[in-house]
Amino acid sequence: MTYLGRKIAAALVSFALLLVVGFVIFSLMPSDPVAALTRGRPTSAKQMAFLIKQLGLNQPVWERFGHFVANTLQGNLGYSWQFQAPVSTLIMQRLWPTLLLMGSSTIVSIALGMWLGIRSGWRPGSLLDRTSTGTAITLWSVPTFWLGIILLVVFASGLGPIPAIFPAGGMSTPGTAGGLTPAHILDVARHLVLPCLTLVLVIFAQYQMIMRSSMIDEQGNAYLLTARAKGLRDDDVRRKHVVPNALLPSVTLIFLQVGTMVSGAITVETVYSWPGLGYLTYQALQIPDLPLLEGTFLVFSASVIVFNLIADVLYRYLDPRVRRS
Amino acid sequence: MKNPKDAPARTRRAAQFVTAAVLGLSLAGGLAVAGAAAPASAASTSSSTLRVEADTAFSTFNPFLAYFNGDLNVIGNIYPALTTINEQGQPAPYLATSWSVSANKLTWTFKIRSGLKWSDGTPITAQDAAWTFNLIMHNSTAATANGALVANFASVTAPNATTLVITTKQPEANMLYVSNPITGIPIVPEHIWAKDVSNLGNFKNMTFPIVGYGPWIATGYVPNQYATLTANKNFFMGAPKFHTLIIQYFTNGDAAVAALRSGQIDEIDDLTATQYEALKSDKDIQLVPSVSNSWTAIELNPGAQTQSGKHFGNGNPALQNPLVREAIELAVNKQELVSKVWDGLAVAGSGYLPPAYPQWQWTPPASESLSYDPAKADQLLNEAGYKMGPNGVRIDPKTHQPLVLRLGIHSDETSDAEMAPYLQEWLKAVGIGVDVQSMSFNELNAELPKGDWDILSDAWSTGPDPTYLLSIQTCGDLPSNSQSAGNTDAFFCNPSYDKLFNQQATEFSTSQRVATVDQMQQILYHNAVDVVLYYPDNLSAVRTDDAKNFFYGTPAAQGFYPQQNLFINWSTATPVASASDSSSAALWVVLAIVVVALLAGGGILVRRRSTAAERE
Repeated sequence: MTYLGRKIAAALVSFALLLVVGFVIFSLMPSDPVAALTRGRPTSAKQMAFLIKQLGLNQPVWERFGHFVANTLQGNLGYSWQFQAPVSTLIMQRLWPTLLLMGSSTIVSIALGMWLGIRSGWRPGSLLDRTSTGTAITLWSVPTFWLGIILLVVFASGLGPIPAIFPAGGMSTPGTAGGLTPAHILDVARHLVLPCLTLVLVIFAQYQMIMRSSMIDEQGNAYLLTARAKGLRDDDVRRKHVVPNALLPSVTLIFLQVGTMVSGAITVETVYSWPGLGYLTYQALQIPDLPLLEGTFLVFSASVIVFNLIADVLYRYLDPRVRRS
Repeated sequence: MKNPKDAPARTRRAAQFVTAAVLGLSLAGGLAVAGAAAPASAASTSSSTLRVEADTAFSTFNPFLAYFNGDLNVIGNIYPALTTINEQGQPAPYLATSWSVSANKLTWTFKIRSGLKWSDGTPITAQDAAWTFNLIMHNSTAATANGALVANFASVTAPNATTLVITTKQPEANMLYVSNPITGIPIVPEHIWAKDVSNLGNFKNMTFPIVGYGPWIATGYVPNQYATLTANKNFFMGAPKFHTLIIQYFTNGDAAVAALRSGQIDEIDDLTATQYEALKSDKDIQLVPSVSNSWTAIELNPGAQTQSGKHFGNGNPALQNPLVREAIELAVNKQELVSKVWDGLAVAGSGYLPPAYPQWQWTPPASESLSYDPAKADQLLNEAGYKMGPNGVRIDPKTHQPLVLRLGIHSDETSDAEMAPYLQEWLKAVGIGVDVQSMSFNELNAELPKGDWDILSDAWSTGPDPTYLLSIQTCGDLPSNSQSAGNTDAFFCNPSYDKLFNQQATEFSTSQRVATVDQMQQILYHNAVDVVLYYPDNLSAVRTDDAKNFFYGTPAAQGFYPQQNLFINWSTATPVASASDSSSAALWVVLAIVVVALLAGGGILVRRRSTAAERE
């Protein structure tokens, strides 16, 4: 079998395992969705019986698993109990805000992390190295929601002399028109600043540390001597020779991260009321809304599998050593 | 000597720098101008806007399916109802101008107001009401949300455009609570909905503007963010004072508080005591505590049983003795819980029905009161045969085991975690050991029907009609077998209570019904199966520089306002003329400075890179 064929077969096996694991794990949660959905509302016994039948709760577990697999293979991700809408619709509705938030924060943190990693790895022990590494690790260890709330309180409600500069939640200002107008784009951008900033601050450290250690590793190689002997400037040696070789571990990390992008960031979305998939997962856990949980679990895991597959394939082209093997 | 190669390089660098500077300054200038323009457009107040926080997320505006409060609040304001609830919590005319009951109490005749039109111009008639009720009665999908409210209806007809006749199977005293804004069944236009019946389960009702009638018209919805309502100028009770109402969903309370502080939103509800205290220092924000329509209690397992009387579960048998349960209630200092856990923003618990609807509220007379008296609790426990043991824990006379009870609390409820140590301490003081078990809301609800618990934290709320809250204590709500859940709250079963429950459902005189309900509350109080700890206030806040007259009523003795009703609040709120805030201008200035700094920095880097070769 070709390299690609082997990788695709492995991905399919992972996906099949996912179907089983996802269903089993969520079925084990203590759940009484009918009671949770109707709590506090006058509900007759007849209504409850109807709901139980409608939600498929009177079917044995095997039958439900069978329906679940059959539906998934046909692209039907089920029907959410609490939202009374198809799971795929709910996911599509929140997909764009999630990608916007995660995409922008991933791009910025990759750019920032790798730039800092290259510079600090090139001259380890320098002032830049020590301060940037220290700051990055400190921010990495800070809880995301805590940082989010601090930024929210300081910049969205104002603290002392600092006025409220950014909105306290949502993706756009209520009452303004939507669409791709410059005003709306600026509005969304303004709402995006704080959540994106929170995410960037807590995750850029990983790109920086990986890049930094690869740079330090590469510095011991002989080709650097040759490059310098040729008369290349230090910056050019770094840019043209060392960085491309040091990139490989970072590429793996980037693809791993991009694969998990779809799952959103639950804590950031909860702090900033960003209508994304992370918060949808949290809402699904409330009932618990099993079809929604299973559907989102499938989508997120499938995304990770797909991007890992792409990373495997791309690695072959980036690293000639893999190609030859 | 000047290097001939330098001259073009220097010119190139200079040109780059100048270009960057010009671009940066023009961008900054553009942003500043846009920023100056932005506040004006955001605050364009030829039409005033009231911005409130949504109670919950939005899901659907289909009144036959909607569960979430966020949806119900919108639906209650865009569709009419037969009656409304007035500021005193009593039913009042809305679509129905008057009503009468037949001699045998089974037939209600409503006179429907004439001259009202749906927002598309079609007249509203009794036929719309009849169609709505009949759909819920005969279509099981349509009964999803409100089927229980028409369970006792035999038939609903509209003999003419202004008369609606409802016949019931048994006399139904609470008929006037069946169709109210927000808490009851809304009336929908038949000519719009008839074609959607076949696909009712999937119909979201999100084509805007939604054809309906009410103080507001739904004109927009941005999924998972906010709904936009526009005032209905033709509303017969008077158009709302604000032109536009925006209901925005915040995923957490602190973000909503931040938004209120910065003026992005005008009113928020459901504050915690901590947030409430934190907002006290802001002079533009009015804090409004209103009496509660909910209670928090601890329920004591009186012995789980099925409807046929079969006992199950491993609840501690000590709690089957009413003396022990009364002793537990006497051992708890409810007033201290109010001051410690709620900073005084609650009312100490007594009667079963919360104080939001004063006509239903019952307080025990002083002679029967079970308020804090640990000495009496000791006495009752001794009487019941539970002698004090060696470690300060009483011994069960039958099993000779120490009397230790499990207390299940909600792990996702901060007030539960705060009150648990107090309960533990007070019960220990009278010789009852307490083992606190924290579990999620779902887990606790799953444990309840198994009967394997001693004490559980419990909370319920009620609408203007107490029938449902009273029903969960009836024998009829016990499970049919030990495997099914049933609807029971705490396995309470008392034949006298059930008899009174059936009686109050048929008492059409309010004073008679109140007297019967009072007797029921007395039975519950003395059985102490639900020990009501407190009724936590509903805590709200409103910006006085944006809206006035949002809340109605006069604060009572403790400074608590009467129970509020969004149907009234949103209509009576009045805009306050105010200056537009300058905070967004500050943003643009900051942005402009940042952009200039970035471009200047970028320009310097560009310059350094191109001269790097010379430096090395």
